Amino acid sequence: MLDFFARNRVATLCAVTVLAFLLIGMAAPGYLSLSTASVIMSNSLVLLSVSLGTMLVILTRNIDVSSGSVLGLSAVVLGIMLNNGYGLGSAIAVCLLAGAIAGLINGVLVTILNVPSIIATLGTLGLFRGFMLILTGGNWIEELPQPLKALANNGDIGISILTVVVLMSLVAVWAFSRQTRFGRYFYAVGDNREAARHLGIPVKLVQIAAFVAAGVLAAIAGIIFAAQIGFIPNQAGNGLELKSIAANVLGGVSLLGGSGTVPGIFVGVIFLTSIDSALVFLKIPAFWNDFIAGAVLLLVLLLDGRVRIAVEKAIRAKRYAVHDPAPHPAPGTNPASEKNTRTRAQETGE
Amino acid sequence: MERNTPISAAVCVTDIWKSYGGTPVLKGINIELLAGQVHALLGGNGAGKSTLMKTIAGLVNPDQGSVTINGNALTYASPAAAQALGLYLVPQEAHILPNQSVLENICLGLRAKPRALRDEAEALLRDLSVSLDLDAQAATLEIADRQIVEIMRGLIRKARVLILDEPTSALTPHEANALFDRVRQLQQQGVGIFFISHKLREIREICDVISVLRDGAIVLSGPLTDYDDRQIVAAMTQTAQSTELPTRIARDICFDNRDTVLDVDSFSGEGFRNISFTVRAGEIIGLAGVVGAGRSELAETLFGLRNAKSGDVRLHGNALTKRSPRDCVDAGLVYLPEDRQQNGLFLEASLAWNMSGYTMHRLGFFPKSGPEATAFDAFRTSLGIKCEGRNQEAGRLSGGNQQKVLLAKCLAADPRVLILDEPTRGVDVAARNDIYRLIRDLADKGLGVVLISSDFDEIEQLADRVIVMAHGHQCGELDGNAITVDAIAHLAFESGGHPNA
Repeated sequence: MLDFFARNRVATLCAVTVLAFLLIGMAAPGYLSLSTASVIMSNSLVLLSVSLGTMLVILTRNIDVSSGSVLGLSAVVLGIMLNNGYGLGSAIAVCLLAGAIAGLINGVLVTILNVPSIIATLGTLGLFRGFMLILTGGNWIEELPQPLKALANNGDIGISILTVVVLMSLVAVWAFSRQTRFGRYFYAVGDNREAARHLGIPVKLVQIAAFVAAGVLAAIAGIIFAAQIGFIPNQAGNGLELKSIAANVLGGVSLLGGSGTVPGIFVGVIFLTSIDSALVFLKIPAFWNDFIAGAVLLLVLLLDGRVRIAVEKAIRAKRYAVHDPAPHPAPGTNPASEKNTRTRAQETGE
Repeated sequence: MERNTPISAAVCVTDIWKSYGGTPVLKGINIELLAGQVHALLGGNGAGKSTLMKTIAGLVNPDQGSVTINGNALTYASPAAAQALGLYLVPQEAHILPNQSVLENICLGLRAKPRALRDEAEALLRDLSVSLDLDAQAATLEIADRQIVEIMRGLIRKARVLILDEPTSALTPHEANALFDRVRQLQQQGVGIFFISHKLREIREICDVISVLRDGAIVLSGPLTDYDDRQIVAAMTQTAQSTELPTRIARDICFDNRDTVLDVDSFSGEGFRNISFTVRAGEIIGLAGVVGAGRSELAETLFGLRNAKSGDVRLHGNALTKRSPRDCVDAGLVYLPEDRQQNGLFLEASLAWNMSGYTMHRLGFFPKSGPEATAFDAFRTSLGIKCEGRNQEAGRLSGGNQQKVLLAKCLAADPRVLILDEPTRGVDVAARNDIYRLIRDLADKGLGVVLISSDFDEIEQLADRVIVMAHGHQCGELDGNAITVDAIAHLAFESGGHPNA
């Protein structure tokens, strides 16, 4: 049981989330409904998309703190094109391209110019935000055309096209990272870069690919953002980079690279977003949001940490118990006071 | 990959030059490896073996010269290109992806999916007669199993050329023998193998041809049978005085009247149980056994790195109850760890700083560099550390010199009992002799030395008394002339019941 939760950070978080839902449902009747689920889902879309990109970067043992600005910049590119009469399709294409280029810049800085990723993306965080402001002249982009806003409309079953797109990207990234050879390289590069290089893996290409993918996913988040609120403020995406890193940590992605899964991201983001909606139902003033979100994040991580330590201890005890009794009946080596469980542990241990 | 060419050059290296920061490391090396040949490569620390092998494997770009693998030139330095030409380098320090499973570690970088290669991997493991859980997380592997993973990587790639860089340094004799059988099989199949080792006995066992490197040039090359051990060692070291092959020096000293410096009484902890022994001043106690016998765990527990379960430790008659590394250092008990890269050295820090590792708490709030420099220079001459200066990074030294720096770190703490865990792992013959001499000198000065080693020759040569451990138990003690490799091996393998034996 303990073992299962330790190996599955996602399971721990799932259990905590379900428990939280049940408790809130008891405290505020009417919370557990399809409409709440629909609200939480659509509120999660932006963070989901950004977090997914951030995960790919973190897997390769880098970090991307520029995603909020990439979101803003690509949303502005989208808005300007639309307001200048370009079609939705071409505007979205150019918007995604802008995200890809921003990611490429990050990737090149990190791999080819050897700037540590935290510094490089901290730099581009300011740079992209600044470039966005230059493009808009410091003004908000308003009155976005109806076709864009229509993307965010929930259909008959409470699911918008955007939801479908994000879910599809989740599945695509999951399949890519788990099933393809190049996808496994992401894990390898983050786990031990030198080893990956020894094994002939194109280490630099993998890292650049991660940054470019993060840029594209941030641009998708930019489209969702613009479609959902119908205008683009100057601070679009501000602070999302840290929220997405929090969602990654919560979802069991190791900041040291090499481990993390897409389902983890999904649960992490849903958990973070549902806190906001729950507070509304519980009639807690909105200014409590950050405090409670932070406290819950710490609580989950602490809990997870304790479970891990307990399991590690159990594993250690089992591993070293191998040596306690003599593995083969050898005369005079050991008192015959061993328990059967020990003997079994030693057999499986070897 | 399969090439049915007649016996031809598997690797051909022509006139390779390489220098780092103006210091030439390789000076026009020409070397050829034929298919189906096991080619021994020997050389002292810093002779250029590693650089040469890394050049062949595409990890280092040579300044000049060419490498041809299976008839195709390696045009630019890239490990991927070298592997595509059928070459795999099994490095001395295994490269492990800690979060992946063992199977994924082995199969990473191959076209086929790990699942598809599972049967093949299991068959190879059986051939090597090792048991390794393919689904275990690689982070949990011991150093020997990590080495197995690296060897497996080479085998599963069906490489036509293998470079084995001290493959046996972390293996038990049993595993080493299985590896040698495998090497002979591969040789029959026409695989060319570069075999790097410091152990002449191993080289005699499986190699056909030998090349000796010194200062970046090949100084001896030819069929192994043409040379005797003395000639080989002489070629490596050049200087006449250190060509003496290490032999057991019987130090017929009676220790019975000496003070007991370390007294371990029915000590139990993680991986060992009920261990009792004493060390007297000036005595070298060998702690022999195979990897996994619980010796390093015992040493780490003595030094306060792990929690003990029960038992007493007395240092100079005073109970050492509160054990933390710092308390132990202050009480005069110092430990030289087994894995110098992981636990021993600050690889990116200066040599002088490394030397002060155990004594930092004595340096004061503002450490002065003057005394440190003097102390380091003293160790540099007394231990014979070859380096550019005390500000050089420790990671840039060769294995033997790193080990000497580590020894300096231990001695700087002015110990009365020194626990040495595998002090000559990955160290060349000349440096090994230096270290042996140093250990004897230290014992002569009255230090109690506990020598942990899986190299039974080493124990035989140095120890005054031997305690043999197997499976966490103390299973025998040998004294004086009873200390022979055979006697140790007998105790280590048979009394505990070796799982693979």
